[in-house]
Amino acid sequence: MTPNSATSAPSRRSFLASTAVAAAAVAGGAPLLSACGGSQSGSKDGTTSGKDAAKILPAYVASTVVAPDIPAKNGSAAGFSKAIPTADLKTSVTKKLGSGGRLRIMSPFWGTPPKGDNPYYKAMNEAIGVDVTWQNQDGVTYDEKLGAVLASSEIPDVVVVPGWNLNGKIPGAINAKFADLGPYLSGDKVRDYPNLAAVPTEAWQRGIFGGQLRAIPFPAPYVTDIAPLYRKDLFDKKGYSVPTSPDDFLSWAKEATDARSKVWACDDMKWTAFNVFGVLSGSDKALWWNMDGGKLVNRIETEEYLEALEWTRKLYAAKVVHPDAVSGKAGGNAGNRLTSGQVLVYSQNISDWWGKTAEQRTQNPDFEIAAFDFFGPDGGDPKLWAVQPANIFTFITKTASEQQIKDFLAVCNFCAAPYGTKEFMLTAYGVEGTHYETEKGLPVKTTQGVNEVNGAFDYTGNPAPYIAYPDFPDVTRGMVEWQQRMGAFTTKSSFFGLTVTEPNRWANLADSFEQLEDDVVRGRKKISDMQQAVSDWKSKGGDELRDWYKKLLDDTGSAN
Amino acid sequence: MTAVLDKQADERPAPKKPSPWAAPPRPVWEEEPSRAGLASKGLVLGIACLAILFPLWVVIVTSLQSKKTIDEAGGLVVIPKGITFVAYQELLSGGQVQRAALVSIGVTVVGTLFSMTVSVLCAYGLSRSGSLGHRWILMTLLATMFFGAGLIPTYLLVQALGLTDTYLALILPSAVSVFNILVLRSFFMGISQELIDSARIDGAGDWRILWKIVMPLSRAVLAVIALFYAVGYWSAWFNASIYLTDQDMMPLQNVMIQLVQKQERPVGLAAQVNTGQLSSLALQMAVMVMALLPVAVLSPFVQKHFRKGMLTGAVKG
Amino acid sequence: MSHNTVPRSAGEAKNPARTPAASGDGDGEGERKGTRARSRDPKRAGRLSLRLRFRRDRTLLLMALPAVLLLLVFNYIPILGNVVAFQEYDPYLSENGFVAIFQSPWVGFEQFERIFADSAFWHAVQNTFVLFFLQLVLFFPVPILLALLINSVVRPRVRAIAQAVMYLPHFFSWVLVVTVFMQIFGGAGIIAQTLRQHGIEGFDLMTNPDTFKYLVTAETIWKDAGWGIIVFLAALSSVSDDLYEAAAMDGAGRWRRLWHITLPALRPVIALLLVLRVGDALTVGFEQLLLQRQAVGVDASDVLDTYVWWNGIRNQDFSYAAAAGLIKGVVGLALVLTANKVAHLMGEQGVYKK
Repeated sequence: MTPNSATSAPSRRSFLASTAVAAAAVAGGAPLLSACGGSQSGSKDGTTSGKDAAKILPAYVASTVVAPDIPAKNGSAAGFSKAIPTADLKTSVTKKLGSGGRLRIMSPFWGTPPKGDNPYYKAMNEAIGVDVTWQNQDGVTYDEKLGAVLASSEIPDVVVVPGWNLNGKIPGAINAKFADLGPYLSGDKVRDYPNLAAVPTEAWQRGIFGGQLRAIPFPAPYVTDIAPLYRKDLFDKKGYSVPTSPDDFLSWAKEATDARSKVWACDDMKWTAFNVFGVLSGSDKALWWNMDGGKLVNRIETEEYLEALEWTRKLYAAKVVHPDAVSGKAGGNAGNRLTSGQVLVYSQNISDWWGKTAEQRTQNPDFEIAAFDFFGPDGGDPKLWAVQPANIFTFITKTASEQQIKDFLAVCNFCAAPYGTKEFMLTAYGVEGTHYETEKGLPVKTTQGVNEVNGAFDYTGNPAPYIAYPDFPDVTRGMVEWQQRMGAFTTKSSFFGLTVTEPNRWANLADSFEQLEDDVVRGRKKISDMQQAVSDWKSKGGDELRDWYKKLLDDTGSAN
Repeated sequence: MTAVLDKQADERPAPKKPSPWAAPPRPVWEEEPSRAGLASKGLVLGIACLAILFPLWVVIVTSLQSKKTIDEAGGLVVIPKGITFVAYQELLSGGQVQRAALVSIGVTVVGTLFSMTVSVLCAYGLSRSGSLGHRWILMTLLATMFFGAGLIPTYLLVQALGLTDTYLALILPSAVSVFNILVLRSFFMGISQELIDSARIDGAGDWRILWKIVMPLSRAVLAVIALFYAVGYWSAWFNASIYLTDQDMMPLQNVMIQLVQKQERPVGLAAQVNTGQLSSLALQMAVMVMALLPVAVLSPFVQKHFRKGMLTGAVKG
Repeated sequence: MSHNTVPRSAGEAKNPARTPAASGDGDGEGERKGTRARSRDPKRAGRLSLRLRFRRDRTLLLMALPAVLLLLVFNYIPILGNVVAFQEYDPYLSENGFVAIFQSPWVGFEQFERIFADSAFWHAVQNTFVLFFLQLVLFFPVPILLALLINSVVRPRVRAIAQAVMYLPHFFSWVLVVTVFMQIFGGAGIIAQTLRQHGIEGFDLMTNPDTFKYLVTAETIWKDAGWGIIVFLAALSSVSDDLYEAAAMDGAGRWRRLWHITLPALRPVIALLLVLRVGDALTVGFEQLLLQRQAVGVDASDVLDTYVWWNGIRNQDFSYAAAAGLIKGVVGLALVLTANKVAHLMGEQGVYKK
């Protein structure tokens, strides 16, 4: 009973605050991003690729400012494992591009935003030449606010939209409310903004909404971002060797689990299973589809999908999964279970490799985690599917003046400066002496830096995917090399790189599958229930959707 | 009438105050409690309190632990190992929490006063059976309990009224709780009609009757409803997150939520969490402990108005 | 009496069929005598008395006005937005979401048909009612009993402490309540680990779909029963000691005094809260259930509110959500009116007097 109506509305929403849904795995401003969900529907459905896309995509002019010491390969990020002394920093923005105008930017924010007029914002605004004011919104409930703001007649000048918030009618709203950047960026026009010109073309391709280049994309590696991370220190101590096949994993897990001492082999391994068994990527609706022998197949129709669920179910049934993981969201943070040693392996965004190491090393110098390589169903090479090469988008409203659009691009160009430049250091670390100090050649943030330089300019422009942790060169190297090894096994599916807007009527067709997966792996539903759901899906519109996608592919071609 | 009673109470010879732990002298007509009765009463109360206090203990202990201890426990800590106040230092460092606390206090005080005024007036206005249109008005109120409006229409309305980015947006849309009005009204209607009639014969109008008779006789329920409103305003955060864009205007709950959310992510953590001295779980628990503070502040206030038999003879049985 | 339509405002709420005699029940006797004497023409009686009644009650109406105005502005105007339940509403069709209502296509009852055709909806309805009845039986009496218990404690300090402790859990967020339950009753919780040391495997109350409804009820009791006592304590504090004394003089023992004095004093409040609770039957916890959705699966945990959230709000299907909200509202209103009627039949006042 909630006696006061004033409390009931907020309390139901605080769920959102407490369980960061998919966004949690993604946030943090780490260079590697992805999410579940994905684009669905809108008034202008379809996609743009091939010749049509070529007409509006910006030209690519690679950045030559600083060469990474681990170059990108097989769709990996580029690795920068060495710190660059202040004196050696290059300049990528030679001329202040901003006109001194004002821009209001609405952006999701995870954590506590700093005060509006802090020295970091001032320094950034001064360097760019644009007076940016921020409307930072809680990243977890961002989609609720986004829907309302887009429906009002007062939209902020610039709006950041993560891919996982492109639900329902939001894509339609984007087409209706945001400006076409083509006149400023298409082809050689982008050369006015050299850092944006160095953004990979496949990321730009994702920025095409409703037939026009509307978004500044946040480039990401196309190698899967979900990695099976394991406690290397504990593996070494116990003398375990890394599992090399699904069966091997199961038998190792049974051996490693010791419930009495509160140690379980793993957390929820569903996402790992999808990669091991070669299931089409679930990170974006369009990626669920792939051309196979002349027919479009959806991931939920494949044998691999059922095999992956069945293997995960076996793990749960063997009681090698931590009991709190069975409870899902209610069970709390999987990362805490890993760092406390209660679980030895968990599936997580690869950015945790660095995140957990940085967090734990200060007290436990022996702490070491790593990601093991995906293996195939029989222990051979895995078959992996690429994820989208950009999944966070930044738009400017249609009502913006030409000057405002140019100012916006000036902000994005500045923030897209690559590692090793003065602009990068200012954007990522702030002002030297105020926000960071150089200790033993490494930049270390001060308390003020931690509080002020914490994510505001994360989404307004980014360079090609990179991993740069000079304080943990081994981790940097490990992450990039893992991506490169996995990248060698990665295939791009038919709709890779395209931003597809599904027709409204099918937008919610597959919504229940994620829940069903969770029920199946936990043994509450049978594989046959899943098969039933798939056949229902086909008859309720799945087959029509297949035809729609087929036509799309025939008409516009894939981006590969 | 109460004034008379209070006076009598004052005149009662009370040379020394009895200990608050001791039972006050029983009235002569009340029989001595049986031992079994007392014991079972104590047992039930004890169990109920224990069921509440044990989790509370765990929460408090966890908020005082170092990251290492919490990591070793892999979650909440039952048996403390040393004590550190890092989490609280982190919470209270920086002006943001302080500023937000002031905002919250201001909104709670102003909002509660406003809500109470509107609700008490409305409840009294509807408390006379047979008055013109009271049933229709009641239906109008009641229907709002069952039909909600979507987020978008509400947002557009608040924006159209020019309330976005003002504190009024935190008060006006949720100022009236129909539930509270109904509870108030139910208590008002329980007040002896003879008292009101006799006041009317003396020439008192409705404003005076409300002020001089109804409100003094309803102190307990007024306290309760004020508490409901205050707690509602204090713990509300959704309106702020939707209608405010200025970080400096955010109330405490929103700042707390933002702090708690740091639990999940490696970048953007405050200094202590980032350097591994502070567990995000401890921070979260510290926030929870702070959220319990209103109870400590409000409990005595409510207690004061709940004295047994305070309104002797005033209300019809 | 059917009140399914909502009156537009208090001012328009005339009821000419009502005679002055029917409306008079007790107060303002002297004033009204004059009224009756003057209203001789039966046709004009209603209007005349209306004017006089208005004059008599205008202070009361004035007092009710601010609250009514606030509700009209902040509740009724946005509620009008619910017309989108009969549309395929797209708020982005126009510059402004309000204007877009006029441009969205009308689809009649299509959204309702979609809802009724969805087996998951009926599953959610079933879960909702099961949880509601369980909470009505197991939760509702707890605050009353606790209030009686606390009220019977005479030592002021003990009373104060017990009361303050009982309020505490209300201020815990649901995440924390679920976490705490998990740490105690979960598969890696205190009880499970203790049992494991003694060779008993498999204790886990948190992930058992069969007992989930009891778990939810227990969590609700833990969190909110203590807070619920507060209204009852207020009611109890208005009971006169004289009554007890008189009863005791008549030889009534402790239990008979409880039965004949204390409980009757609580009856109006209990009836009011019960009626409102029944009207709110379709709301049985939202955040709490969403949090534990993965733990027990959708079949065990989906209720009406979570269903609406997943299918409507989360996927931005505004029309669908509005339609589901309307269904919920109509059912809630019907339930509260029925419950109120039953309360009247049992001689209670309920929400409004007959």
